[in-house]
Amino acid sequence: MLNPLRSEAEAFRFLVYVSVVVALIVAIVLLVRAL
Amino acid sequence: MESGSAALGYAPLREPAGVHHDHEHPPEANRSSRVDAQFLGMMLFIISEVMLFGAFFTAYFFIRAVAGAEWPAPGEQLPVAIAGVNTAVLVSSSFTMHWALGSAKAENRAGMRAGLLTTFLLGATFLTIQINEYVHLGFGPATNAQGTIFFGLTGLHGAHVFVGLILLSFATIRAFRGHFTAKEHRGVEVPGIYWHFVDVMWIIVYSTVYIL
Repeated sequence: MLNPLRSEAEAFRFLVYVSVVVALIVAIVLLVRAL
Repeated sequence: MESGSAALGYAPLREPAGVHHDHEHPPEANRSSRVDAQFLGMMLFIISEVMLFGAFFTAYFFIRAVAGAEWPAPGEQLPVAIAGVNTAVLVSSSFTMHWALGSAKAENRAGMRAGLLTTFLLGATFLTIQINEYVHLGFGPATNAQGTIFFGLTGLHGAHVFVGLILLSFATIRAFRGHFTAKEHRGVEVPGIYWHFVDVMWIIVYSTVYIL
């Protein structure tokens, strides 16, 4: 299981995942608002 | 063979004849056999920081979702594009940090030094742009509740970037002095974990405060 506090590599992977998930959430919210 | 009390981590009450031990220091503290003290310290620090950011986000969501206040306050504008560029600067610094540690692990000293120095410079650029943004915003922390929360959240994050820059400066100076090897690079890894945490927090701060 991914633990971003265990190593730098895992923290970096976590950052990439968070970026993708947040970008998706923002896109969905903006899309819903525009409709 | 160790005596029973010595095996338990403290010195026996009576010394064998002819043997002298110093009792000026307390016995060595128990340590986890699974996590290094440095990693454990950073882990606990980051967990407490998540809770601190959580308190600030609670204030933000309270005035937007519960109180239904406009965000930003009427007549005020947030520089979304400039902050977006600043976000790109900060996120790219995580990539250079990752590169620096990868280079340390591969005994590539030049890459490690360049990675750490670039990370530091990108972080300093982020902070400079943020201070410049504060100067030109047109509202302050005391203007209204939105201003208080905006400066509280972004300022809290800025303070974390500042702390990260101090850690990075130590790591960079040590790298240029010839420290860190493929086997011993905790001085880069621990600040790296902290730096990625700071970046994750900014991605959440930027998307909620500036975009949504």
